[in-house]
Amino acid sequence: MIVRAEIRKLRTTRTVWILLAVAQALVLAGLAGVMINNDDLDDVETQQAAMAHVGLVSLFALVLGIMAVAGEYRHRTITDTYLTTPHRARVVYAKLAVYTVAGALFGVAAAVTALASAAVWLTAEDATLQLSSAGLWQTITGGILWNAAFAAIGVGVGALITNLMGAIAAALAWIAVIEGVVAKLVGDVRDWLPFALGSALDALPTAVNGPPPWLAGLALAGYAAAFTIAATVTTLRRDVT
Amino acid sequence: MTNVSVAGLTKRFGPVDAVRDLSFEVTAGVTGFLGPNGAGKTTTLRVLLGLVAPTAGTATIGGRRYAELRHPRRTVGALLEATGFHPGRTGREHLTILATAGALPPARVDAVLDEVGLTADAHRRVGGYSLGMQQRLGLAAALLGDPGVLVLDEPANGLDPAGIAWLRGLLRTRADQGRTVIISSHVLAEVAQIADRVVVVGAGTLRYAGPLDQLSGPGGGFAGLEAAFLQLTGDVPAGASTRGGAR
Repeated sequence: MIVRAEIRKLRTTRTVWILLAVAQALVLAGLAGVMINNDDLDDVETQQAAMAHVGLVSLFALVLGIMAVAGEYRHRTITDTYLTTPHRARVVYAKLAVYTVAGALFGVAAAVTALASAAVWLTAEDATLQLSSAGLWQTITGGILWNAAFAAIGVGVGALITNLMGAIAAALAWIAVIEGVVAKLVGDVRDWLPFALGSALDALPTAVNGPPPWLAGLALAGYAAAFTIAATVTTLRRDVT
Repeated sequence: MTNVSVAGLTKRFGPVDAVRDLSFEVTAGVTGFLGPNGAGKTTTLRVLLGLVAPTAGTATIGGRRYAELRHPRRTVGALLEATGFHPGRTGREHLTILATAGALPPARVDAVLDEVGLTADAHRRVGGYSLGMQQRLGLAAALLGDPGVLVLDEPANGLDPAGIAWLRGLLRTRADQGRTVIISSHVLAEVAQIADRVVVVGAGTLRYAGPLDQLSGPGGGFAGLEAAFLQLTGDVPAGASTRGGAR
């Protein structure tokens, strides 16, 4: 029941559809950028770099997850949510489940956009999409999973930082600046920071020294679990005034 | 036939005592929960509804804490937020989400929309609603589970005189069916016409609990009522807190 209600909330929030549309636009623009700046379009690495944007738009999945919880505080619908489901942990778990799937669907949508536009572009340029390349599919599936993981982490972040603008600002600042600064301070641990793990999961060229994709995926799931536990604990205690 | 009981309730927010050792009992009928702004009314109601954890004491509905209720929405209907809606959702979507989460029959959505007079506007986004319409939508949400207890925090806010008269009728009907209705207000005149009993709080403590008609001061009539209310909720209760007794 709670899961169905969360799905309905998701579907009836316009911002969700705006995020999805902007993500597709970014995938298209990113792909075009790679195609324009490379001569050998038949090269798998070039095509992988183009497909990498499926994973990079996980930023939008992160914002989506944050909105799931912090958005309820912003519009004060959280009061009715907890009045209907006083067992707040159930609300957190339902949101986690629904938004992880939604994040994966964001990734699938981005993958479809990327594959379709790449196919059109390459055909026009007399090149071939390397659909039999394992590396290409690794980047695509890794990108989809990256979206799912970041949506799940977003739910945790939104539950911890219930101020919507504050939570989004903190998350974007982490990705744009803070992780880069922290990476220089922590030695080899830098490969285990969230964005670095996403890059590794996506088999991006920037993540050559990081863990293998499967391990990166597990580590990201670990982050999601840690955030969820912290979020559940604080959510249970927090006064809704 | 469900009683609401507040016993020894204390809530501290940091250095602030929002509610101090507050005890009272509410039975079937309409009870006005009165006090000036900042007296602790909203905090008390939020503790009762499980949204705020008490520092000490309990607040129960039919002997159970809110979190222990089997079907919270069928037991208690609450209106706490003047604008607790996502502006992009329609009125119907808002209610359907609550009905889904609360396992209530979808037909209840149409029933309560009709009851609060929002059927014609149900397909419109809440962002375009007037304050009065939002208040009606909040009431619709409170009525969704057809509960035996209604808890309404400042329900008259944003309603025009006709709306207030309509609300009074709606609450009277519910009370006459033997249901328990609690309406909080900082405006005595709003509840004077509808409440059977009143609970008056000031600075987080109980100042009076009992029948409305026993709450009267010099001058009689509404003027006397108002004088008594002001005296009760002033800084110096002037011994008035003993009148009526702390139930």
